[in-house]
Amino acid sequence: MISMRKLSLRDSLFLGFCAVFIVVFRMAFRWHLGISGHSMFYTIALLLLARGCVSSRWSATYTGILSGTMALLLGLGKGGPLIIAKFVFPALAIDFAAFVWPLYFGSFLGIALVAALASATKFFNTVIMDLLVGMDKLLILQHALVEAAGAVFFGVAGSLLIPPVLRKLKSRGVI
Amino acid sequence: MPLQSDMVHSLKQSQAESHQADRGFRIPVGINLILSLTLAGSAIALRSPYGLAGLAGVNFIYFFLNRSSWLLLWKAARVFFWQSLVLLLLHYLRFSVDGLVPGLRVSCQLFLAFLPGMIFLQGTNRSQLVRVTNRFLSARSAFVLGASLHFLPLMITEVKEIYQVQVLRGSRIHPCDIFKPWCWPDWVSCLIVPCTVQALALAGEIAQAAKIRDFGLCAQRTCWPETENHFKSKRKL
Repeated sequence: MISMRKLSLRDSLFLGFCAVFIVVFRMAFRWHLGISGHSMFYTIALLLLARGCVSSRWSATYTGILSGTMALLLGLGKGGPLIIAKFVFPALAIDFAAFVWPLYFGSFLGIALVAALASATKFFNTVIMDLLVGMDKLLILQHALVEAAGAVFFGVAGSLLIPPVLRKLKSRGVI
Repeated sequence: MPLQSDMVHSLKQSQAESHQADRGFRIPVGINLILSLTLAGSAIALRSPYGLAGLAGVNFIYFFLNRSSWLLLWKAARVFFWQSLVLLLLHYLRFSVDGLVPGLRVSCQLFLAFLPGMIFLQGTNRSQLVRVTNRFLSARSAFVLGASLHFLPLMITEVKEIYQVQVLRGSRIHPCDIFKPWCWPDWVSCLIVPCTVQALALAGEIAQAAKIRDFGLCAQRTCWPETENHFKSKRKL
């Protein structure tokens, strides 16, 4: 059973909205153009927004679990139950970075570094999935590197939206 | 007012769903989810062409049991086509002609891994989905998941309204402005920030409404049908 007792209901619901929007964007942008990692643009941006607005230690992970569960129930992705890992791995990286360096949300460079780290977790997801379907090892490495490079590019681009948003929200006393 | 209209809409939808549910036999949701996950897991575990062909047959039976529409199968077939094209190309570049059959096998595996989930979703309504999530998430998380999905249409309406008002104000947030970097600050300050504020406000309203109705007093899920049974059993005692 997954529970987040320390979060208020309002914060949990806000994280739920972030999770829903990750899944909605994922469904809306399934254009199948063969652009690797484009989903990381809004996934990383929304996970960072969730962590930036709700200062709980596991808020990004909670959002990741919720969006992963929704994606699993909605039948998104190609990995069956493994789809949850696609959302949880980057979320864990964001929460871990916030634990080690809480001030990274303020700077573009800091948030880009964390986004690159979080997006690079796609490498492991791809490796796990390809190993399970029994692909050739060299092909797995090539495939995972291509996927991770695309994910890092789009993840960093998405993360750059977040510092001005958080700055404006803080200056207006919303968070 | 928007909340009231949304509630009326959801009531109508739940009535429609109950009418839909009355039409003959349906697989119980829990069993349906287990079947879906088992089929998806089998697609990853199976390697032989005969095994995959058998699994495709089982998926077809699962499709009919859930009474899914042919449109779903058409959408899935389109995904399968594009995915196969990419994978076959990758395998051809790596192994030349010898790699085409393994590439097709991998593509079939990936297709059969996500098809049961799509069928499950189409055959399951929203309230059933919340009941299912309550089995592996806490009552609170299941509520959050259900409420977030439930209020999604309302959120989208709010986002549309904010967008229209900001366009009337003269913000440069038209679809063609996405490709103009000098317009990006407008997207942030005129759309993303107000939408985030709106999401926080809506979350606050829902949380307050739930707390007024004593949500969170019990660790277990509390809802009307169960409470009614509980009272009935108490009266008998």
